[in-house]
Amino acid sequence: MLEGTTAEIRERKALRVNPAKTCQPIGAMYASLGIHKCMPHSHGSQGCCAYHRSHLTRHHKEPIVATTSSFTEGASVFGGLANLKTALENIFTIYEPDIVSVHTTCLSEVIGDDIPTIVKKSEEAGIIPEGKMVIHANTPSFVGSHVTGFSVQCAAFVNYLAESNGAKKNVINIFPGWVEPADMRELKRIAELLGVEYILAPDTSDVLDSALDGEYKMYPDGGTTVSQLKAMGDSLATLALGPMASALAAEKLTKKCKVDHSILELPIGISATDAFVNALRIAGDVTVPRELEKERGRLVDMVSDMSQYLHRKKVAIFGDPDHLTPMIKFLVEVGMQPAVVVTGTKGKKWAQNIREICSEANPEVEVVPFSDIHYLHQWIKANPVDLLMGNTYGKYVAKSENLPFVRFGFPILDRVGHRAFPLLGYAGGLRLIEKITDAFFDKRDREDPDHEIELVL
Amino acid sequence: MKKTQDFTTNHNTNQRRNMSATLEAPTTEKTAVKKMRKIAIYGKGGIGKSTTTQNTVAALAEMGKKIMVVGCDPKADSTRLLLGGLAQRSVLDTLREEGEDVELEDIRSGGFCSTLCVESGGPEPGVGCAGRGIITSINMLEQLGAYDEEQELDYVFYDVLGDVVCGGFAMPIREGKAEEIYIVCSGEMMAMYAANNICKGIMKFAETGVVRLGGLICNSRNVDRERDLIEEFAKRLGTQMVHFVPRDNDVQRAEINRKTVIDWNSEVNQANEYRTLAKNIDKNTMTVIPKPLEIEELEALLMEYGLFN
Amino acid sequence: MSDETAQNDFPMGDGPSAAETREKMLEVYPKKTQRKRGKQMLVNETPETPAAIGANSRTVPGIITQRGCSYAGCKGVVIGPIYDILHITHGPIGCGWYSWLSRRNMTKIRHPEETNYLQYSMSTDMQEDHIVFGGEKQLEQAIQEAYDEFKPKAISVYATCPVGLIGDDIHAVCRKMKEKLGINIFGFSCEGYKGVSQSAGHHIANNGVFKHMIGLDDTPVEAKYKLNVLGEYNIGGDAWEIDRILRLCGIHIIGTLSGGVSYDEICNCHNADLNVVMCHRSINYMAEMMEQKFGIPWFKVNFIGIEGTKKSLRKIAKYFGDKELIDRVEEVIAMEMVDVRPVIADVTTRTKGKKAALFVGGSRAHHYQDLFSDMGMKTIAAGYEFAHRDDYEGRDVLPSIKIDADSRNIEELDVKADPERFNLRKTQERKVALEESGFDFSDYEGMMRQMAKDTLVIDDISHHELEKLIELHKPDVIGSGIKDKYVIEKMGVPCKQLHSYDYGGPYAGFKGAINFFKEIDRMISSKVWKLTRAPWKDDSDSQSTAAKEPVAVS
Repeated sequence: MLEGTTAEIRERKALRVNPAKTCQPIGAMYASLGIHKCMPHSHGSQGCCAYHRSHLTRHHKEPIVATTSSFTEGASVFGGLANLKTALENIFTIYEPDIVSVHTTCLSEVIGDDIPTIVKKSEEAGIIPEGKMVIHANTPSFVGSHVTGFSVQCAAFVNYLAESNGAKKNVINIFPGWVEPADMRELKRIAELLGVEYILAPDTSDVLDSALDGEYKMYPDGGTTVSQLKAMGDSLATLALGPMASALAAEKLTKKCKVDHSILELPIGISATDAFVNALRIAGDVTVPRELEKERGRLVDMVSDMSQYLHRKKVAIFGDPDHLTPMIKFLVEVGMQPAVVVTGTKGKKWAQNIREICSEANPEVEVVPFSDIHYLHQWIKANPVDLLMGNTYGKYVAKSENLPFVRFGFPILDRVGHRAFPLLGYAGGLRLIEKITDAFFDKRDREDPDHEIELVL
Repeated sequence: MKKTQDFTTNHNTNQRRNMSATLEAPTTEKTAVKKMRKIAIYGKGGIGKSTTTQNTVAALAEMGKKIMVVGCDPKADSTRLLLGGLAQRSVLDTLREEGEDVELEDIRSGGFCSTLCVESGGPEPGVGCAGRGIITSINMLEQLGAYDEEQELDYVFYDVLGDVVCGGFAMPIREGKAEEIYIVCSGEMMAMYAANNICKGIMKFAETGVVRLGGLICNSRNVDRERDLIEEFAKRLGTQMVHFVPRDNDVQRAEINRKTVIDWNSEVNQANEYRTLAKNIDKNTMTVIPKPLEIEELEALLMEYGLFN
Repeated sequence: MSDETAQNDFPMGDGPSAAETREKMLEVYPKKTQRKRGKQMLVNETPETPAAIGANSRTVPGIITQRGCSYAGCKGVVIGPIYDILHITHGPIGCGWYSWLSRRNMTKIRHPEETNYLQYSMSTDMQEDHIVFGGEKQLEQAIQEAYDEFKPKAISVYATCPVGLIGDDIHAVCRKMKEKLGINIFGFSCEGYKGVSQSAGHHIANNGVFKHMIGLDDTPVEAKYKLNVLGEYNIGGDAWEIDRILRLCGIHIIGTLSGGVSYDEICNCHNADLNVVMCHRSINYMAEMMEQKFGIPWFKVNFIGIEGTKKSLRKIAKYFGDKELIDRVEEVIAMEMVDVRPVIADVTTRTKGKKAALFVGGSRAHHYQDLFSDMGMKTIAAGYEFAHRDDYEGRDVLPSIKIDADSRNIEELDVKADPERFNLRKTQERKVALEESGFDFSDYEGMMRQMAKDTLVIDDISHHELEKLIELHKPDVIGSGIKDKYVIEKMGVPCKQLHSYDYGGPYAGFKGAINFFKEIDRMISSKVWKLTRAPWKDDSDSQSTAAKEPVAVS
């Protein structure tokens, strides 16, 4: 397993090995799937769209519907106008979406296709039916990562759709960041428990975790509706969860419609969930119900029960910046010791923030943005750790180093739990503690000599 | 009831900005107190675009206008006279060297009379993609807030490389970027041919966007009946000749000193020519969708004015 | 016999005819799209003389297509599986990421000190400044770093869309670094926008393998019967099963292109006496070029399905022509069939007469019809994702295929007989004698000849057409790809993912067939499809089912 990886770390300036990120367009596609009756459209070669659809399908085990401009060499030279016009005509005629969400690729960005111009021309040609619309986001693959693609797409929703007619409504906008459908569902459950009226955008629950009932719906029941996106401009306030994925949209909305916003970490673990609940409580002017406090209590209880197994355990972790920050906070909260933290996305200031979070638990923590899994693996070889956390690709490292491994982040291609159970909120915290301790215990049960096997743990 | 909760942003927004994720919005025009005019200068290579642009900008600056000049030529020599020849790091060089940590101050320099100068820069001929470079630079300026209201700009000038060869070079005339185009030309056939082609480009983008032609600037080459020819050419295109800039060696003298004419010697006649051009642009309200000429018509025009004799 | 008659009477089962189905599928399309898609959808009216299908034509923009790109065909399919080449994708991060372990081309390292580079995804992770200023320096540096860190025996480089647009000369960089580092380094200009599907990438890959690897190592191979298996990618271990059977017969495989293969095996594989071709679409170029240069004959085989496997083994034996081998093959078949027979007998009781549809790849939509037919199932509709006309209608149409603009951009190598190494494996007389006894060389009859009359043939089926097919015909199982799988299953029809086998397999050969029979039996018999409707949705009997009390324990 990964036989070529040694503990000797050489400086690499040009070679990415086992990346901890992918490209912008897939993020735009995922965000667009969270809009009701929206067709994500990839403006470029059809390979990008095929790759993104396959990858999201493997992660969600659900149909991922998206279209492409299917560039050929000719289109790459003469520009993508004709392809996009034809595509829009076909899409509106055959698939009848309410809205088409176009994102660009490296190909269409390098040749400099101007999407708004093409859309206007299509409009004039009568290709876009009355009441339907086409929006766009620029997502060249050589900029940012899948996370920034998601962020840019969310901002495009605001740019194109949010409106304000002056009268503020007692509604709170929530930008959930790039989280699972189950997590979006959990955010809504918490908001409903608190009795806060909200608009969640995008919302992939009931889209990418739809029921199997013998009937196929190209556009499942879920997703933020266009009218909800429009109404966001009249909301009282916005909570943007995850600075990298959601801040851009929230700031745009403040600028465009004067809706105040607050940028929070994703509610993973105790304190980050506390911050989210508290922000909701204040924004919605409500009191936190006893039920939610009990949930919190149950999490704290479990943390205290399991503390002996977690204390000072060294963790190697990789993933997306927004996921990592609150996750590392949580690891520190439960007494663990983040040892090495890697993300593929750029973010020097993010890294500084992580070091601050770890300052007490592990001042020596190795935090590396714009890096890769290969680096993390090499680092672990020289500095052994107790646990590895990250997406599915981590399992090769885990096997190579015989490490307990907790899957978290995007993508998870070889397990099923992320589809059904949230990691967000207090409930998600319970699940995390379970996953972490299970990983430790399974390894012990499998490897401990017979005389050391424990019935009770 | 509703409290005025302090929704301050508790995150450093720089981090997000630095991601340089590009985003283009359908601009809903801000109802700002002061409307920034966005001007692009096009024209055949070697016609004197950069010289004309900088001298005009100097005159406008002298009038008290706040201006940003964005050079969109990979050679990065569009702001040399305003900066007094100071070599300036281009946006793309900075991006390449600094990676994610780019600040507005790194790529924007102050020039003559508080003008703000930016060079997009780009690759050497034959490598990479200069067109993409222009897209990258303008996106970066937008993200860094170079066009924000707080900057209180009266003008932004784009000085664009010769002909529009690919999508990237059209970036400045896309919606929301430049709105008024001035084409620098002369009475020489190739210059007029290029101007006509540029009009075709403007017409294409004007159909769907806000970009309009503001006029022709004749940078005289001392061709016979040049003034009449360009005036007629402008008329046929449906526009005007904004000003006839006579040929004067003072321009070269100033250039040798790495200065605009006004900066070098504000008393000379050529300084007044540029002042007139600046005034004409400043008060110009005539912006049109040009009607480019058929090639036969263009040739006939040149015949009529005796160029072919 | 009676089965065949039944199939001919109802080629599409009891649903509407193929022609009606086709009309219904096309109905919704705008005119231009209707015309284009219409050419890619045919009723198989005359299987013996197949009609011309509009395969390998441009995808209609906006149509939800199955197809991918040239890069996927080159790096993802053909070259990607070579485990001891270090693969570098030159481009932004996505392409390298998505082609990282996502295709199940399985492999085993040969020695513990080797590195399996398939577990690694390496790329230049191009950033905006590389696009603007050019990425050649970045690539050069990346190759150097890869060499310093891993010391591979060969490095291969793949171009992505933007690389082609900005004009990075990857081949010049590869040549320079090959010279400098003294290992084999070569590039593939497989930018995603080339051609109309993955297929362009296969061709580019074939050219590259031929130019940069084939024939590098002349070490003789000591084996009586030696061949290469071309167009077999070892998905789910298929190549290993084929290898097991051929070994039992005493036949040695030098190289399997390219499933589980090593660099050295490819460099040495021109020493074979025969090339057998599995996936005609992706590798026929190689078979032709090797024959031209080295005189190695080739023919098409199919190790998918019991009958196909038997036929292929017998054909190989007949080619070599030794009685000893011919007898050995019969022994192996008899031996293997002992395990196969009871499974078929059992499974067929549940699968007989069931309907299947296949929309996959450039050969599988054809090959898997054999497996279904082994189980008494009928294929009512089939089509490839990226094949050409010859894969549908047979190689005899090759001269009449028009070269269009998209194919013209793919290089055709000019191959000549190698002055030293060309060697006719079969004398002309022997070849003619074989052919006269009904033996086909360099031939592929295509899919349509084998399909029943009046079934439906659909090239690059679109999402909408697939939906319509299910609505009108409700096949019992559909073989397709990952992008369609859950669409199909939401409609209550099981879908067998035949690109990567749903992480099962092998399905080739005898043991593979047993796996497949059991798998399809599971899918068709699965209780889950009966659970899709909640009992209270059908008001008739729900009361009684709900009222049933659990059995008391005591």
